[in-house]
Amino acid sequence: MKRFNLNALMTRNPALFALILLVLAIVVNYILQPNLFARDTLNSNMRVFLPIILLSVGQAVVILGGGIDISVGGIVSIVNTILATRVGLEGSPEAMWQYVAVSLLAGVLAGAINGFFIAYLRLQPIITTYATSFLYFGFALFILPNPGGGIPAQIASLYRNTSPLGLPLAFYVIAIVLGAWWYIRSTRYGNYLFAVGGKAQAAYETAVPVTLVQFSTYVISGLMAAFSGIAITMLSGSGNAEIGSAMTLNSITAVVIGGTAMSGGVGGVAGPIMGAITLGLIQNIISFAQINTWWETLVKALIIVIALATPGIINLFKITSQRAIGRPE
Amino acid sequence: MTLSLSAQNVVKRYGGVVALSDGNLEVNSGEVVALIGANGSGKSTMSKVINGVVVLDRGQLLLDGKPVQFNSPHDAKQMGISTVFQELSLVPQMTVADNIWLTREPLGPGGVVNRKMVTAKTEELLALFAGTFKIDLRPDALVSELPPDEKQIVEILKAVSFNPRLLILDEATASLDSRQVQRLFELVAKWKTQDKAIVFVSHRMEEIFRIADRYSVLRNGKTVGAGAMKDITENDLVRLMVDKESVFSFSRAAAQQNQKPVCLEIKDLKTATLRGVEISVREGELVGIGGLQGQGQRDLLLSLFGDISFAGSIQYNGKPVHFRHPRQAMKHGFALVPGDRAREGLLYIRSILENMQLPSWARYGFLLKLGKARQDAANMGNSLNLKMAGLDEPVSSLSGGNAQKVVIGKWLMRQPSLLLLDDPTKGVDVGTKAEFYELLTRLCEEGKTILFYSSDDDELVGLCDRVLVLHDGKIQTELAGAALTKENLVAASLGVEHGGAQ
Repeated sequence: MKRFNLNALMTRNPALFALILLVLAIVVNYILQPNLFARDTLNSNMRVFLPIILLSVGQAVVILGGGIDISVGGIVSIVNTILATRVGLEGSPEAMWQYVAVSLLAGVLAGAINGFFIAYLRLQPIITTYATSFLYFGFALFILPNPGGGIPAQIASLYRNTSPLGLPLAFYVIAIVLGAWWYIRSTRYGNYLFAVGGKAQAAYETAVPVTLVQFSTYVISGLMAAFSGIAITMLSGSGNAEIGSAMTLNSITAVVIGGTAMSGGVGGVAGPIMGAITLGLIQNIISFAQINTWWETLVKALIIVIALATPGIINLFKITSQRAIGRPE
Repeated sequence: MTLSLSAQNVVKRYGGVVALSDGNLEVNSGEVVALIGANGSGKSTMSKVINGVVVLDRGQLLLDGKPVQFNSPHDAKQMGISTVFQELSLVPQMTVADNIWLTREPLGPGGVVNRKMVTAKTEELLALFAGTFKIDLRPDALVSELPPDEKQIVEILKAVSFNPRLLILDEATASLDSRQVQRLFELVAKWKTQDKAIVFVSHRMEEIFRIADRYSVLRNGKTVGAGAMKDITENDLVRLMVDKESVFSFSRAAAQQNQKPVCLEIKDLKTATLRGVEISVREGELVGIGGLQGQGQRDLLLSLFGDISFAGSIQYNGKPVHFRHPRQAMKHGFALVPGDRAREGLLYIRSILENMQLPSWARYGFLLKLGKARQDAANMGNSLNLKMAGLDEPVSSLSGGNAQKVVIGKWLMRQPSLLLLDDPTKGVDVGTKAEFYELLTRLCEEGKTILFYSSDDDELVGLCDRVLVLHDGKIQTELAGAALTKENLVAASLGVEHGGAQ
């Protein structure tokens, strides 16, 4: 007898739940905002969502590998303040691209610091990255104590308004990220990542370079946080050392609604991308439903809690119905 | 490619605990060496020194005559040493194929793993055990969905896929049924002719005599004897291991007819694996449950304990009962020693005291009378001959046999009237086993009723009044009296009809 096994289904199709949620969010949003699929609306939505999407992808890789990265928001802030202070509103495009490269290096370096402490010194991921998040936010404040600075308007506009073939720029970025993920997933490194996240001891006993894999996940996360920081700087056009502080929790939430297990080893990147878009849509829905901003956080939190609890609730009903079958006549 | 490996005077400490004080082992191509010892004697540590999982503190490893040092499993793998781990080195969330070929995935262009080839190569390996699976084992099945025997086979195939020169089998048969063990032994015989060296770690005396060419016995971290199997008897080997004579000559419970009233009556019990089981048990009876692994034995015990849902009727002491929670079963004097000690039986990192008193705290008042609780736990520990550094030590500091004593002790604290035992001697050393046999016999004499599932046929035959053999979710045969022989038991386990049943 083949029994329906929700856990197995989720293990094999971790993004399924995220997809259902995304479709639901799109439908509700569409009802409230019928021009959702109009070119301009689509573009303005996607360019707002992209920073969190990029951040969630990095977070997903770390969580898949069995860790967590609380410091990503700090890395976003560092990148934002570097670009806003070094390039400036009157800066040249050349300077911009130069500091984009510097930002990416800064992200990799910050990730490497996390990875070194966690993988090589074997410190707790959650505590280590919590600590380094203060380090990174502090460094961002050191670079730019008060909000200000900025990047040239033409570059910001490039990010905001480019839509090749009528599709938002973000779609192309997502396609590239998914392609890169698909490639990584298909290599030996991809298998190592899932093995280390699934059961590190078993991976070690099988001669998988566990420490190196753990280290690499934080470097990837740092790099993705840098990309996220570049995107949000181009979106806002200005600098603020606090810009990343709200983003960390959103990235983790996106990963979780995206079907990636917090315990590691199950999930992927497509789910978290859908999760991040869903989060953005929920934000939209709240503002279009004209819910008082006072309620906004509460409603958002409720939706997230329900989304997280659904698999558990389904399981609970399944068990109860099984019990009922088992009763004697 | 031949190999000769020799570990000499190996010392290994974990913190203050000496796991190995003078470990020695020699193994050469084309032979099977049995590494034997009671639990906590250092067998696992010895095999982990050889496969690089732990680094030895003193002593040396000679590979083909040259000293080597293994700092990680990777180093040992490079030298062609591969291990079937007792705790399994599988990643539950990954598929069978991905697990087996992890680190040696065949790569295509651009470093992309060639999944087709992974699947094909896995199917080749699975063919080695073809016909011994209850359900077809597929390369793309998730390991977490497999039953224990299939997980064990995947672990074996994974170790074999390295094409090792030396294969360490650490309790590799613990979850296998007799057909699967038979197949494994045929393969081992084949590997021997291919010049592989094999280290076989096991508690099962019968298997050691079937498969090993030489033996090496560890006792308290020290190698106390080694030689050829043909020069030693089972009793001598056991004596070397435990330093205590004739542990296997446990006395069988008096075979007189039990005329006490029936206390447990099970009718038409059905679960996902059971298909209508009928059992009636008399008070003070020790009833064995036999059969191959996974024929529903676990479900039978769990449904009696209210741990899983079931259909059917159960009468206990004349009253119908249908437990939906272990709490209800416990109120009626039921106790369950579960099959997975580490996961279900114990809170591993908590203290012996806490584990021992876990089901009984309610008896010590709202503000716990800790002194009384300690005293009671200490008394229980003494009566079970529990070897521990103190009641406050974590259970994880105990050897397998002593940890199992804590599981049994915590239920005996409640004075149960019906004990459900799910393979309680699995991974327990012979010395402790003998103590368990005495204990079970004594409990029955005290009037307690015991349902006892064991994967060890000798135990069932030697200990039980009668044995019910489960096959495919039903009771295949009931063996008692003169019909209760090992031959009949094995035959019934395999589903073979025979005339010996009553």
